[in-house]
Amino acid sequence: MKLKKIESLLRRKVSKNIVCSEFHSSIVLEGEVEKWDEVIRAGKLAANKGYKGVVNKIKVKGLEIPKMKLPSIRDGTLEGKKFDVLIIGGGIIGSSIAREISKWDVSIALVDKEEDVGTHTSSRNDGVVHPGIAPPSGSKKTFYNVRGNKMYTRISKELDIEFSRKGSLVLYNNNFLKIIKPLIRSRAKKNGVEIYFLDVEQAKEIEPNITDEIKGAFFLPSAGVLSPYKATIAYAENAAQNGVNFFLETAAESMEVKNGKIIFVSTNRGKIYPKVVINAAGNFADEAANMAGDQCFTIHPRKGEEVILDKKKGWLLNSIVSKLTINRHSNTKGGGLIKTVDGNILIGPNAYEQPYKEDYTTTPNGIGEVLNKHLYTIKGLNKADVITYFAGTRAATYEEDFIVEKSEYIENLIYAAGIQSPGITSAPAIAVDVEKMAVEILRNYMSIRKKNNWNPKREGIPLVNSLPYEERKRLIAQNPDYGVIICRCEEISNGEVIDAIHSPIPARSLDSIKRRVRAGMGRCQGGFCTPLIMKIIHEESGISMLKISKKGGKSYILREETKNSLRRVKAKEKLGKR
Amino acid sequence: MKSYDVVILGAGPAGLAAAITSNDNGSKTLVIERENKPGGILKQCIHDGFGIVKFGQRLSGPEYAYKFIEEAEEKNVEMKFSSFVTEIKKSDEKFELKLVNSGGMEKIETKSIVLATGCRERTAKQIFIHGSRPAGVYAAGTVQYFTNIMGYLPGEKCVILGSGDIGLIMARRLTLEGTKVLGVYEAKPEPSGLKRNLAQCLEDYSIPLYLSHTITKVFGDERVNAVEVSKVDKNMQPIKGTEKIIKCDTVMLSVGLIPENEVAESLGLRMDPSTKGPLVDQDLMSVNVSGVFSCGNSLHVNDLVDYVSESGEIAGLGAARYSLRKETRLITFNKGKNLLYLVPQRINVKSENKKVIFYFRVKATMKNVEFVVKLGNHKILKTRYLYLSPPEMKRIIFDLPSDLTDDSELGFEAYEGER
Ligand SMILES: Cc1cc2nc3c(=O)[nH]c(=O)nc-3n(C[C@H](O)[C@H](O)[C@H](O)COP(=O)(O)OP(=O)(O)OC[C@H]3O[C@@H](n4cnc5c(N)ncnc54)[C@H](O)[C@@H]3O)c2cc1C
Ligand SMILES: Cc1cc2nc3c(=O)[nH]c(=O)nc-3n(C[C@H](O)[C@H](O)[C@H](O)COP(=O)(O)OP(=O)(O)OC[C@H]3O[C@@H](n4cnc5c(N)ncnc54)[C@H](O)[C@@H]3O)c2cc1C
Repeated sequence: MKLKKIESLLRRKVSKNIVCSEFHSSIVLEGEVEKWDEVIRAGKLAANKGYKGVVNKIKVKGLEIPKMKLPSIRDGTLEGKKFDVLIIGGGIIGSSIAREISKWDVSIALVDKEEDVGTHTSSRNDGVVHPGIAPPSGSKKTFYNVRGNKMYTRISKELDIEFSRKGSLVLYNNNFLKIIKPLIRSRAKKNGVEIYFLDVEQAKEIEPNITDEIKGAFFLPSAGVLSPYKATIAYAENAAQNGVNFFLETAAESMEVKNGKIIFVSTNRGKIYPKVVINAAGNFADEAANMAGDQCFTIHPRKGEEVILDKKKGWLLNSIVSKLTINRHSNTKGGGLIKTVDGNILIGPNAYEQPYKEDYTTTPNGIGEVLNKHLYTIKGLNKADVITYFAGTRAATYEEDFIVEKSEYIENLIYAAGIQSPGITSAPAIAVDVEKMAVEILRNYMSIRKKNNWNPKREGIPLVNSLPYEERKRLIAQNPDYGVIICRCEEISNGEVIDAIHSPIPARSLDSIKRRVRAGMGRCQGGFCTPLIMKIIHEESGISMLKISKKGGKSYILREETKNSLRRVKAKEKLGKR
Repeated sequence: MKSYDVVILGAGPAGLAAAITSNDNGSKTLVIERENKPGGILKQCIHDGFGIVKFGQRLSGPEYAYKFIEEAEEKNVEMKFSSFVTEIKKSDEKFELKLVNSGGMEKIETKSIVLATGCRERTAKQIFIHGSRPAGVYAAGTVQYFTNIMGYLPGEKCVILGSGDIGLIMARRLTLEGTKVLGVYEAKPEPSGLKRNLAQCLEDYSIPLYLSHTITKVFGDERVNAVEVSKVDKNMQPIKGTEKIIKCDTVMLSVGLIPENEVAESLGLRMDPSTKGPLVDQDLMSVNVSGVFSCGNSLHVNDLVDYVSESGEIAGLGAARYSLRKETRLITFNKGKNLLYLVPQRINVKSENKKVIFYFRVKATMKNVEFVVKLGNHKILKTRYLYLSPPEMKRIIFDLPSDLTDDSELGFEAYEGER
């Protein structure tokens, strides 16, 4: 469609204030509207109408969207440093790319603005390795999903990631499946996904505790489950072992571009001079593209909320169960119940548009919606089993597909952007393609070859509590710390916490320890072990008790020593006098 | 494999009392404690008021615990610390336990088990608090540990949610340390802590208590910087338009305790939904898995440690005599409509223990109460209470009638006025 035609469509259907223009083969929307919903509607209407992407700059009257949160440190430790490859973003996408490129004898830096890898979307999702039936045939999503799914068999072994491929059971409770069954079958065939249609009895053999109110189900055996943050950490650790430099609390803030080439990237720790830049900045990938003067898409953060139940009820579910919802316009799979690799049941997500990219507040309505929709699909679950809940945001573009390609306009920029769901599933496949693109670009500037000592294997921290009796005994004999239980709910030992602190990407905060070894993730939510873990962090890494944080930055747990308040009062008085 | 008559899980006041009693009765006894020293939660309760009933003294928590620790040590009761039970299996007449500690893994067997595992605190998520997830939201017991054991304060300005006793005690403790405690917000129309704590911890320090109020949202990125509080209606639902923002850097929760019964559940013990502890008879033995006894806060949440020790003694004695135990014939009874719970929940008419101690709580505050125990239509016991309220657990002791049989109809009732 021609630009003017789209513009008049948007003016008619959304708001008279919208103006359209073209930039870098994309359509740019500008103007001011009343509600966020109108911004989204305009973006969606303009999508897939012959332009490369939609750059949606429409503003909502009176709505101030906070800027990306930046780390508080500012220094020059990276000033002038040169790297062959710079990866922006340490989610699963950036981390897996780093690991694949580390096969090559080149220098690689990965920057992430947070204190650890995988703190954003990659730790706020379902961890389902999807079979690949949901995305439309022919899309990049489907291509990477199906390939990534297959690759996890090998990757999970190489990187020592717990991965369980128990399949996914989709239930339906009405008869109109008769009509759409052929459609589902043909989608499965086109996408290359194995599928079986089951009657109620067969479904109950797989999941005995499903509700009686169903008419049948289909089963997708290739679906699996992993811990998405552990997978991200595993990829990052293997990359670090193979020489990738991880700079955390380091944000890309702007770029210097000359003659269609990025010369340097400014960060809060100085300017970095890379030969190739890879944009894996998740929800902020559009802003990073804009830094290079190449914004050809917009991310609109789609939020999802999730609930976790006590392990006690884990036995009620074996795999993944969801109910079929048929909604052509929906961009999510509707959520369901998942047995996590750690034995809990995870329920969710819902999906709604909202303007904030890193607002992870949960809401009574959202969590209520998730529980009401799914809790009773499995008999025996109830609200008192909830131990925690959380939220994440999907980095969706208006085209609703992944962007995995070299930039058309900047010669040394590669995109791995718009990676919404199924991004966890697709990561292994995206990473090897981005590796190829990076190698092609690098060859323009230098000659490169593969390392001969690249090590694809990474060994995780031992899961002490699940070792067989004799093996556990042997391990404790070697290191008695593995025998001292620190986190009583999850049965995690002192030794595992110490391992996390000394791991290739060292854990410093309570949350980063949680993501590595689960201490504090059980039913008491750290009530008992928080002080003990702080003590271990203090002893192992020398950080003072007052500087130990929940999640980096200034999220300190403690304020001051006891018997000290007089000093504080005096200090305040002094400040007051000045 | 080492073999014992009685193995006790937990070396808090309940477990210590059980251990001493079982040892005194000639049983080969072992205490397993996952922390590195005995005392349980009392280690961090440095305020006074423990032991008034049992010793007629106002002791601090550690002092109270020490009386039992000293006695257990003098009597050479075997105790293993920093040791964690990972699995218990029942086979025929015995239990096989796996435990882990820095020495490795070990298997032991025992004829009976006493669960004295205490309780844990309810969390912010369990009461469905929403908003962002900054540092600065802690359970009161965690703050108590930070302050009393480690010597650190979590913040400068604190809002307390829930009027449980630990929260009240910590309100005073933090105030003494110079933290500003801005108020205690309680969703129920009545406070859930003991009267004595309301007076000594809040009133004496002019800390306001807001009843029928709750926290509806938490604000802050890195660290809490404010909370939104709202009034709630009768169904504890927030009332729109009553929201108020309070600036603070710490939120402390004292919203209830939950008996720790993961081990009990793994053994398949039937549970009482109102106590969240196992169903037991007057020897405090599980009604469906014989040989497992329960006491202290894992049986039901107590407000006085003196009764915790008492229940430990009962369970310890029951466990010691377990091998002599004859038949079990349980009878259930009606607890009337005003009692929240009554422990034990069953009577074993064949037990030698005919002097039965009952612990109970009422569902709502009642005045001038007549409490009766009936056998058929006979009142076999009648007492009066001027005032009963849910926070105050009561204890009553009486002799079972000698003619009690399987089909005796035992009943309890509490009502205001006289009948
Ligand atoms: C509720 C929910 C459920 C989902 N469920 C599934 C599922 O079951 N299966 C599945 O396959 N996928 C699922 N997904 C999708 C999946 O989580 C994402 O596709 C994936 O995590 C994206 O990874 P990423 O590395 O692109 O993004 P992120 O993990 O967000 O990583 C981006 C990183 O870039 C950093 N960054 C951004 N800008 C800068 C900058 N300028 N400088 C420095 N650092 C920067 C950020 O700090 C962040 O760490 C789900 C998503 C959501 C929200
Ligand atoms: C944070 C907190 C503060 C309190 N403050 C007060 C107060 O101020 N005043 C008051 O009167 N009461 C208070 N109480 C109530 C108090 O708990 C009881 O009065 C009493 O201490 C309970 O004794 P217990 O032996 O049942 O449990 P605890 O004292 O909790 O002891 C249980 C012990 O069992 C151990 N254990 C548990 N499971 C296992 C296992 N599987 N293997 C090995 N060991 C195990 C635990 O480590 C613990 O040491 C408080 C309770 C809590 C939780």
